[in-house]
Amino acid sequence: MAAKRSASADEAGARGGGLEHDTIAAIATPPGRGGIGIVRVSGPAATTIAERITGTRPTPRHAALVEFRDADDGLIDRGIVLHFARPASFTGEDVIEFHGHGGPVVMDLLLAACLSFGARMARAGEFSERAFGNGKIDLVQAEAIADLIASTSQAGARSAMRSLAGEFSRHIEALAAAIVDLRLYVEAAIDFPEEEVDFLAEGEVGARLDAIAADLGRLRRTANQGALLTEGFELVIAGRPNAGKSSLLNRLARHERAIVTEVPGTTRDVLIERIELGGLPLVIVDTAGLRASPDRVEQEGVRRARAAVAGADHVLFLFDPQVSEDPLSAAKAEGLNMGRLTLVENKADLSGLRVGWVRDGPPPVVRISALTGAGIDALEQHLKRIAGYRDDEGGFSARRRHLAALAQVAEALTAARQAMDEGRSGELVAEDLRRAHDALGEIVGAVTSDALLGEIFGRFCIGK
Amino acid sequence: MAMQFPDTFDVIVIGGGHAGTEAAAAAARMGASTLLLTMSVETIGAMSCNPAIGGIGKSHLVREIDALDGVMARATDRAGIQFRVLNGSKGPAVRATRAQADRVLYRQAVREALEHTPNLKIFQQSVVDLVIDADHVAGVITQMGLTFRAPAVVLTTGTFLGGRIHVGLEQQPGGRAGDPPSNALAERLRALPLRVDRLKTGTPPRIDGRSVDFSVMEVQPGDEPVPVMSLIGSAEEHPQQVPCHITHTNARTHEIIRAGLDRSPLYTGVIEGTGPRYCPSIEDKVVRFEGKQSHQVFVEPEGLTTPELYPNGISTSLPFDVQLALVRSIKGFEQAHITRPGYAIEYDFFDPRDLYHSLETRVIEGLFFAGQINGTTGYEEAAAQGLLAGINAARKVAGQPSWCPRRDEAYLGVLVDDLVSRGTNEPYRMFTSRAEFRLRLREDNADLRLTAIGHELGVVSDGRMGAFLTKARAIDDLRERLRTIRVAPGSATALSVEHALGERISKDTDAFTLLRRPALHIDALCRVLNLPLAALDVAQQVEIMSKYDGYIARQDEEIARIRRHEQLMLPVDLDYARIDGLSSELKQKLTHARPENLARAAHIPGITPAALSLLLVHARKHQASA
Repeated sequence: MAAKRSASADEAGARGGGLEHDTIAAIATPPGRGGIGIVRVSGPAATTIAERITGTRPTPRHAALVEFRDADDGLIDRGIVLHFARPASFTGEDVIEFHGHGGPVVMDLLLAACLSFGARMARAGEFSERAFGNGKIDLVQAEAIADLIASTSQAGARSAMRSLAGEFSRHIEALAAAIVDLRLYVEAAIDFPEEEVDFLAEGEVGARLDAIAADLGRLRRTANQGALLTEGFELVIAGRPNAGKSSLLNRLARHERAIVTEVPGTTRDVLIERIELGGLPLVIVDTAGLRASPDRVEQEGVRRARAAVAGADHVLFLFDPQVSEDPLSAAKAEGLNMGRLTLVENKADLSGLRVGWVRDGPPPVVRISALTGAGIDALEQHLKRIAGYRDDEGGFSARRRHLAALAQVAEALTAARQAMDEGRSGELVAEDLRRAHDALGEIVGAVTSDALLGEIFGRFCIGK
Repeated sequence: MAMQFPDTFDVIVIGGGHAGTEAAAAAARMGASTLLLTMSVETIGAMSCNPAIGGIGKSHLVREIDALDGVMARATDRAGIQFRVLNGSKGPAVRATRAQADRVLYRQAVREALEHTPNLKIFQQSVVDLVIDADHVAGVITQMGLTFRAPAVVLTTGTFLGGRIHVGLEQQPGGRAGDPPSNALAERLRALPLRVDRLKTGTPPRIDGRSVDFSVMEVQPGDEPVPVMSLIGSAEEHPQQVPCHITHTNARTHEIIRAGLDRSPLYTGVIEGTGPRYCPSIEDKVVRFEGKQSHQVFVEPEGLTTPELYPNGISTSLPFDVQLALVRSIKGFEQAHITRPGYAIEYDFFDPRDLYHSLETRVIEGLFFAGQINGTTGYEEAAAQGLLAGINAARKVAGQPSWCPRRDEAYLGVLVDDLVSRGTNEPYRMFTSRAEFRLRLREDNADLRLTAIGHELGVVSDGRMGAFLTKARAIDDLRERLRTIRVAPGSATALSVEHALGERISKDTDAFTLLRRPALHIDALCRVLNLPLAALDVAQQVEIMSKYDGYIARQDEEIARIRRHEQLMLPVDLDYARIDGLSSELKQKLTHARPENLARAAHIPGITPAALSLLLVHARKHQASA
């Protein structure tokens, strides 16, 4: 990957112009929506990337039907490539669009191919930001861009938080700790050679490097298989015990996943269901009923439910109209975010009221019967609408971003090992380790040199 | 006696320490009419702490000062009595020079340099007040009521502001053992809207060498050939060379220290200032690293004409009776006579986040701070800041924009940027690991990085520039020459290189690229290629450039991005609190730091790419609507 990257850097250096000199790529359509998916690339290397993927140099403003191939010449998809030449394009830079079949796997492979040919993942709102930087957007639109970046960075933070929960996060933390520990010795040996510190022998540095690389390799394999990272729009079903949350989950998932009983507090843990709603991947989380309970197990369930609600893209707050509690106050009391909330009135089969859309909100209200399925259509339409409007910064991108960062970590660790094998001096190994650490910082947050020095002073007695 | 001094100056520098002397000399070299005010002409260039210059990270700063024609490196070459290269077995980026200096010779060399600098006058008088017109500094008032006027003032007061010296539970005001603090000035400065806090540092007891048994200690001689500090210096300038010695503390020393902790100002809460984590007192080391049976003590000579020794490693503020007992418990020190007790000193420092990168304060125009007053420790860190403040004070008076090297250009840039963007809560010391572009910030290329810039700024003399250009051209010529020599596998050249190298050449390449191989050295390569041997510094430079080539190229991309971001100025009146999408923590940090451009914003801990995008868009909006 390093060689390909430097090729694109030459290209970037030769072209110049514009605000940024690197090339960015992102999936421009929401995951799963519709039959066509678009991957957009902008920057000086865009046309080179198109040439690498399609085998021919694209002609400006002409749609061509081509085959998309990855770095190993594997066929990804057949689709259309479009070239908008600078400076007349939307961003003011060379822009390439790959129109392919909209499934998440194809889009993911296409984006991965762009990255392997030298593009980097675009940040939230970065295409618009470049457009603004190149004078393609006026002041009013700039307001909108600022808002977009603000809101998507929050969505991105939510999805990153979610994908960093659990197993994956533990692996990443262990990896970061191992790299910090190794850097500690390598940097201390450079900055404090006169101290009586038991520095690592060269062989031990190499052994630790190999162990870290092996752990990283395992982690990347698992992560690439998607086992550790959730993706998709995360919808959480919350509400009081016995409001019918598990019935709704079953209704949406169309099979018996949750155990449904008439005993309040039946769902003691968090159930997760992945479904597709019109091609849109949804992660539905059914939670324990929110209530104070003396039962220790149920208390834990409630705690997890609240955590799930905090990380959700959207919450369906389910309520039973026969219970004399005002659902809006109850939702507010639970600290739910009004902007990401829909109130769902259940048990229309008992109340006899007309199912379907009740009012626009905020928060909007829908009436259903989870038992009979009445009103579910209206709810599904509503869900498609809110999930479909989601930008490209959801869990899908967060996952891709993490994988890209891990690939960079791996590349830097390989370089460090190679520098050692070639007998290069210690500060070059240290430089590769710094790069590995920086790349990991994209996931876990950057570690400052001062923090690293703090670790060194805490570990070793240093200073005359 | 109220009197206005008849001459008006461009720049007034307060303080004759390492920051003050470089500041005054730099401003004067820039052509500014400069006045150095010091409490005592005798202590100009005094080394208040250990008698050494350089060390890892620090000598990098000294070389940069030298590349900008400063005083420190040349004074070190004339005063150094033991020179060593540290990290000699590691790569060139982290190699460093350290010199023991004779205090008297060093002071003389600095004073002589100042007294031979045109445009520079010295006056002995303590400053008690600043003259401030609205929000602009206009001069200073001294103890005897003399007013000196100047539109730029550089304050380099070291540990003298509100200085308080601790020995055991006894304490007294003082700026350095034997010298009074500047309390009147400290009070005036505390009245300014600048954040002020306390720091602490310490020194060990000094010992009479005649009472020491060196025969039981490890000898540490200087290196051969004797290293040189200045890039244009030579070993012939060095005075007589002497060795240092190394001894160790032991279990009994540690027992004595533990028994005295109840009378330690550090451990009884008398000292509030924060000390450095890396230069702890001996009592700190014994307490924090309980498992360590012994600590090194470097026994450093204070000079050629005095038997006094500086036992580096046992800085302490324990009561004198404990100091004496602990010193005498150390091997070789059994009969030691202490000439001066060790002490800790607490002093005021100003939060450097209230400075611009020019080291000018944000609240009083024309007022610059340099050295320990900004929370740093070390002669080299102080001198480097002094140089920068002197340059910028002169530029300010001349109506020119300020200058500060970038983080990828100089350790000086790293130092100032760390201080101004992040502040510090302990005395700040330079380490190479603070520099993310460490591989390019080397001792050996300080002149290549800074001398031409310095000449353009007017701080580097034509003479030095001329010598530099000759060297720089020779480096370019040799590098280009090597680049044009093709080495094809199987060719006669390749075969002889393979022979010299003991490795196979399997790819068509050029001689410069070939030199990247760790086993190949430039003189061997030049011999094989029948090229004339270049001067040592030129040949070394070309070899280093080749060995680091791939790494430097990778950093170039990162630096190019940073430089573009440097062009994106952030308006000073940008209201960060009102930018949606920034976390409240970031809003607070940005409001405090008020970064001048996007590159500096990017350096604030916790900043994210999305936050940078937001700043960019808001900055553009702000510009468009202004």
